[in-house]
Amino acid sequence: MKKRSNDFLLGIVILGAIALVIAVSLFLRESDIGTKRHQITARFRDVGQVQVGNAVVIRGVKAGRVERVELAAEGWVHVLFSLNQEVALPPNPVLLLGASSLFGEWQATVTGRQSVPANKDLYAQLADASGDKDGALPGAVLPDIAQLTSVAGGIAGDVAATAKSIQLAFNDSAARELRSSIHSVKLMSDNLARTVNVQSKNLDTIAVDVRSGAVALSRASDAFLRNIARLDSATSGGEVQRIMKESALAATQVREASERLNKISQSFEKTEGSLRSVMFRADSVLIKVDKGQGTLGLMVNDPGLYRHMDSVMVDIRGLVADIKKNPRRYIKLTIF
Amino acid sequence: MIESVGRSVRESLEGLGSAGRISLEAVRALRDVRTWGPLLTDQMRKLGVGSLPIGILIAAFMGIVLALLASYSFTNSVPRYLVGTLVQKTIMMELAPVLTGLALAGRVGASIAAEIGTMRVTEQVDALETLAYDPISYLVVPRMLAGLVMFPVVVGVAMMIGLIAGWWASMGLLDMSSVQFVKGARMFFDVFDVRYGLVKAASFGVAVTAVGCACGLQARGGSEGVGAAATKAVVTSAVLILVLDAFWAVVWLLRRVT
Repeated sequence: MKKRSNDFLLGIVILGAIALVIAVSLFLRESDIGTKRHQITARFRDVGQVQVGNAVVIRGVKAGRVERVELAAEGWVHVLFSLNQEVALPPNPVLLLGASSLFGEWQATVTGRQSVPANKDLYAQLADASGDKDGALPGAVLPDIAQLTSVAGGIAGDVAATAKSIQLAFNDSAARELRSSIHSVKLMSDNLARTVNVQSKNLDTIAVDVRSGAVALSRASDAFLRNIARLDSATSGGEVQRIMKESALAATQVREASERLNKISQSFEKTEGSLRSVMFRADSVLIKVDKGQGTLGLMVNDPGLYRHMDSVMVDIRGLVADIKKNPRRYIKLTIF
Repeated sequence: MIESVGRSVRESLEGLGSAGRISLEAVRALRDVRTWGPLLTDQMRKLGVGSLPIGILIAAFMGIVLALLASYSFTNSVPRYLVGTLVQKTIMMELAPVLTGLALAGRVGASIAAEIGTMRVTEQVDALETLAYDPISYLVVPRMLAGLVMFPVVVGVAMMIGLIAGWWASMGLLDMSSVQFVKGARMFFDVFDVRYGLVKAASFGVAVTAVGCACGLQARGGSEGVGAAATKAVVTSAVLILVLDAFWAVVWLLRRVT
């Protein structure tokens, strides 16, 4: 009895454990027992990091999974996908493999050829994989995130190099020069504004002057017309001939006055030359004096000499006073 | 002190050697089905069914702690659903086999060593030989077969309980949705994970029972010798479990990685 009980308990435990393990495994493996699926095969030159179990999506909706990945002849890789029975493939289908997140998950996307992203490499891969005689769909691998990040890293490096170059070029000195240039431009702009303002006023003045000039011209024109009319009347009375004679006389007198002025001017030129010569000599004398050359220069530039002469003059002055006072001390007139 | 270190190393190696010798003798004794057959069910119940509660308890707490630990370790930049991935992979491939194996090494290994050691010191083993029973067929084979079969059963249940506990902890304590956890658990699941864990568990079962039997058969003296045999069986089994864990990782897992 006890043995039978043991066997029953043992059988329950073992079968229960096996059932539990199988059930959880099927659940985790997403095995749909009894659910019909259809399978498609696609061929690729490279499948990236796609693994068995990765999702297959159509227009972003999960529709199946990767069942098998195997190497095939002529450098191909055949990937077997299982799709839910109710899923309809788009017209002219292709398979695109790509990373679905930054954490190494990949997925296969079923799409129509017309919906393939515009990329020459993708087009080339699909063209290469098309036309399989066994009916495998063409497939291509989208750029890996590592490739994208590599390209982004390159761009970042270029930007950094450019920024460094700008930093080298645009140093403190450049900033100061730029600031100075901006200041100069501002000053120039202010000057230009002032100039424009002044020139505008000048133009106004000129315009007024031109206007008044035009008025004056008009008046002169009127006067000229009147004079012409008077001249016309004068020619008939011999007044013009008299005026011409008086004009000739006046011209002769003016010429004589001019000759006299010319002579005076020439004599002025000679006087000026003499003066320039005197001034030059005086200047050279003053230069020598200033340099301390000659007696006068020594006297002017040597205070000791001046003081010495001054004391000599004092002594002489004392001596003369003493001679006047006691002449016999210095002058002795003896006959014998 | 140096002498004691040398002695303990020698005894451990002797224990391993005798366990290997007993294992080979057990393989030879498999032909004697009439001897070990009637005893197998009882041993399986004692080793396996009796160990289920401790296995389930360990697995439940293991799953909860692992989910919390994963959530704590992952920063904002890591998706929450990877908690499910970590729990699934870690429990199925490593923690359930190793922790359950260590627990069973304490329970089963000590039990076997104490039982057989007592039989040895009370000369019951000698009596079996006198009655023309092969001690290996009668004592060792049923226990080793029970270990071979029931360790994977207990570990399999522990795997599932641990996973369910981690799932519950993720939803109840970490504010994760069931969909997130299941997505992560499914994402990188491979049947190999289960196979790897169960094969490891089977090897642990054979090692623990073989060491327990060897230590028990080598027991000398009285009750003190039985206690020493039980202690030695537990320590040697625990070390052997970790060694086998590394062995399977190198031999099987490394090959798949590379």
